[in-house]
Amino acid sequence: MNRSHVIYSKGTKAARIFIFLLLLIIAVIMVYPIVYIVLGSFKENMELLQGGANPIPTHFIFQNYVQAWKQANFAVYTQNSVLIALGVMVLTLFCTSMAGYVFDRKKFRGKEFVYNLFIAFMFVNVGSIALRPMFELAVKVHMNQSLISIILIATGTGQAMYIFLVRGFMSSIPKEVDEAAKIDGCSFFGIYWHIVFPMLKPILATVALLSFRGGWSEYIMPLVFTMSNDALRPLTVGVVMLKNSGNGAAAWNIMFAGATISIIPIIIVYTFTSKHFMEGMTSGAVKG
Amino acid sequence: MKLFQKKHPSLDDEGKASAWLMLLPSIFLLVITSVYPFIWLFRYICYDYNGYTAYFTGAHNFYHMLSDGIFWSSVAHTFEYAGLKLLFIIPVSFLLAALLSQKILGSSLFRAIYFMPTVISTAVYSLIFGFIFAVFNGSLNSILSLMGLIHSPVDWLGNPKIVMISIIIVALWGGLGNYMILFISGMGSISTDVYESSKIDGANGIQTFFHITLPMLSPVIKVILMLAITTAFKDYESILVLTNGGPNNRSQVMFTYIYQLIFSSNVTPQIGYATMLSVVAALIIGVVTVAYLILARKLDDVM
Repeated sequence: MNRSHVIYSKGTKAARIFIFLLLLIIAVIMVYPIVYIVLGSFKENMELLQGGANPIPTHFIFQNYVQAWKQANFAVYTQNSVLIALGVMVLTLFCTSMAGYVFDRKKFRGKEFVYNLFIAFMFVNVGSIALRPMFELAVKVHMNQSLISIILIATGTGQAMYIFLVRGFMSSIPKEVDEAAKIDGCSFFGIYWHIVFPMLKPILATVALLSFRGGWSEYIMPLVFTMSNDALRPLTVGVVMLKNSGNGAAAWNIMFAGATISIIPIIIVYTFTSKHFMEGMTSGAVKG
Repeated sequence: MKLFQKKHPSLDDEGKASAWLMLLPSIFLLVITSVYPFIWLFRYICYDYNGYTAYFTGAHNFYHMLSDGIFWSSVAHTFEYAGLKLLFIIPVSFLLAALLSQKILGSSLFRAIYFMPTVISTAVYSLIFGFIFAVFNGSLNSILSLMGLIHSPVDWLGNPKIVMISIIIVALWGGLGNYMILFISGMGSISTDVYESSKIDGANGIQTFFHITLPMLSPVIKVILMLAITTAFKDYESILVLTNGGPNNRSQVMFTYIYQLIFSSNVTPQIGYATMLSVVAALIIGVVTVAYLILARKLDDVM
């Protein structure tokens, strides 16, 4: 098959060139904000405040990064973002790989009820009000001054989709594999640890990517939890906070540098793993 | 002998216990982040609660809601935002998916570029668009005036007449690739044999599209639409960063308004009232979803 199917057309050369140009223009629009912020982060604040259509700085300076890193606390924000994203990723892998395995392989009373509860709460969304009881709870158990509460909540609100993904993948692994191990005397947990977990690697790679991205991008929840504690803020919260602080105009250069610090790592990860990201998105949504 | 008989059921029980133990971390997180907050909602629904003290006020929150002009206009804005977003994002992403399912030079690169915004934090790309939309030093106004399309700077986020359009532009930029990938995946699942036979029958591109692609895709389209509708009604993170509901509440949607009632530092928190509005907002989204499902089934019967 070297011909397309969805819109089968003989496709004159002119039509093909037109389509290609259209796609190219859209691609430029999609890339523009990223290029604009990255190049802008090397401009002097004066140049940013003057504006203009030229995204390329007249002189490249690195001062903005130095200033953001040293004076505006971005070293701490970056560290927090890394810790949150890694924490969410590890905890998500731990919880969802076990849950997906149990839901697919074990029969017991109440299983489907619990599973449906997970799925149902994927659709019930009451917005930011849900953060209030969680915050009060965190205060009660003295965890509002730590990143752990942020990691737990980010994992909890995202896990349902990943459990669904792991369960789906699990059902494609033949049952004979674990039955053989069972005969050899392996316990239910032993089968998971020695046999199933290694076989889940492809889907867990996807879960790792998507949950890392999720933890890295969290905004409203960490914003609420770090309202009064600057030292716990991730990059997303730190950089947007600057905009709302009194001297917003004076800090454009720092915000440009901060925004760049927050998007570049994830874009680098994405360039090497874009296929995984796209597959993860589609297997979660459409095939369900 | 007795020992021997006992061994099997106990082994099974052990498996059952470890199954529950292995589910425990996920269940614990589900209870903390979903079940408990959901039940908590109803605890303060009849209270005036500012975060420290709660007074029982009976149906006052309900009557307050009925006469709260900002809330009802935020409901209207939610429909306006969701309607406009869907009106653009679905056809455009569908068209892009159809084009990129063909053999086109660089098609996998285009896919990767269009999908890229999905990996960036909504808050951060909204902040970036805030710079681009800035009135005097924003690059959009500079570019448009350079092209001779505008003569005086446009206040993209401050003008009540165009603020919604600006917000939709950002939503399109951020969400387009996601729906495109979903459509592409649906299109890939149609068997190539069908196209082969339609080609033999002499169907042209447009006929193939309307008589084969569209009908065969309709179950997938329904799922994607449902996803798009529920997402569009829940969006508020981007608006919070871009305009915080302004100017003069013109871009206030249900969830930005509720957020401000609970977490805004400028006013006393009205948490009890916010729980009332949250329940109503969730109900509104529920009704929209059910209405869509009924409509989708009706359409099925007609076609």
